[in-house]
Amino acid sequence: MDAERIELIENVFCDVFENLAFMFGEPISKDGLEVNGNEHTQAHISFDGARTGEIMLIVSDDMCPEIAANVLGVDPDDEQVNELAGDALREMINIICGRLLTDLESKNLVFDLSVPEIKNINSQEWSVWLKKEGSLGFIVDEYPVILYLHMED
Amino acid sequence: MAYNILVVDDSAVVRAVIKKTLTLAGIDVGQIFNAENGQIGLDIAASEWIDLIFADINMPIMGGIEMVERLSEEGLLSTIPIIIVSTEGSVTRIAELKKKGVAAYVRKPFTPESIREVVAQVMGD
Repeated sequence: MDAERIELIENVFCDVFENLAFMFGEPISKDGLEVNGNEHTQAHISFDGARTGEIMLIVSDDMCPEIAANVLGVDPDDEQVNELAGDALREMINIICGRLLTDLESKNLVFDLSVPEIKNINSQEWSVWLKKEGSLGFIVDEYPVILYLHMED
Repeated sequence: MAYNILVVDDSAVVRAVIKKTLTLAGIDVGQIFNAENGQIGLDIAASEWIDLIFADINMPIMGGIEMVERLSEEGLLSTIPIIIVSTEGSVTRIAELKKKGVAAYVRKPFTPESIREVVAQVMGD
């Protein structure tokens, strides 16, 4: 990815976290991103149409309830928070994907997005995703986050 | 006038956020009905008095576009305005939706101001 494209992705990522979850993110070198615990959640969405590809968002499990609480605008101890933690992450990647496709490509192109899915991964898998070409590292309110984007030519 | 509103989105988080945003936007809401896909949305629209529908596009079982087409076939689209709430920003897709009879489009993430504005525009407040 060229520098201009990376900057655009970083801006979209930080903007969505800020506007949807009131959490503040900043890009960080992948070498400087340290794993947080052993339990992580990976959100995945794919798209086709004008371009085909996939986007993944990987966060530590303890970050998910915080995202949900902020998106819902409720206290972190609220009973809805744990129940809706995965759903909040799915919505986060859905919005990031929609924004990225428009901003990276064109507002005139039509994409079909899949329904986002989540699964649990461990620290070894986290490290594998971090090393992949197409992944970017972020710190969001002190949590390490990986964003992976793959677009077929 | 209090509006009965149907929110069709597979995300419970989004349904909750729309409900909260409607209140923050100062919109007079009567009853709020929730549906997790277009099929359930159709069933509710056929059986309850609904003034306004907020619907997502990408949902399992039946998405928002098919729901709009089915509502149009059943003659409900002329009486119940639909506002699509989605992440997509394609102007081509938005134009297609409007051609199908969608009243308005709001892009996620939205604000109380954008919801207030679009409801006023659609309901003529």
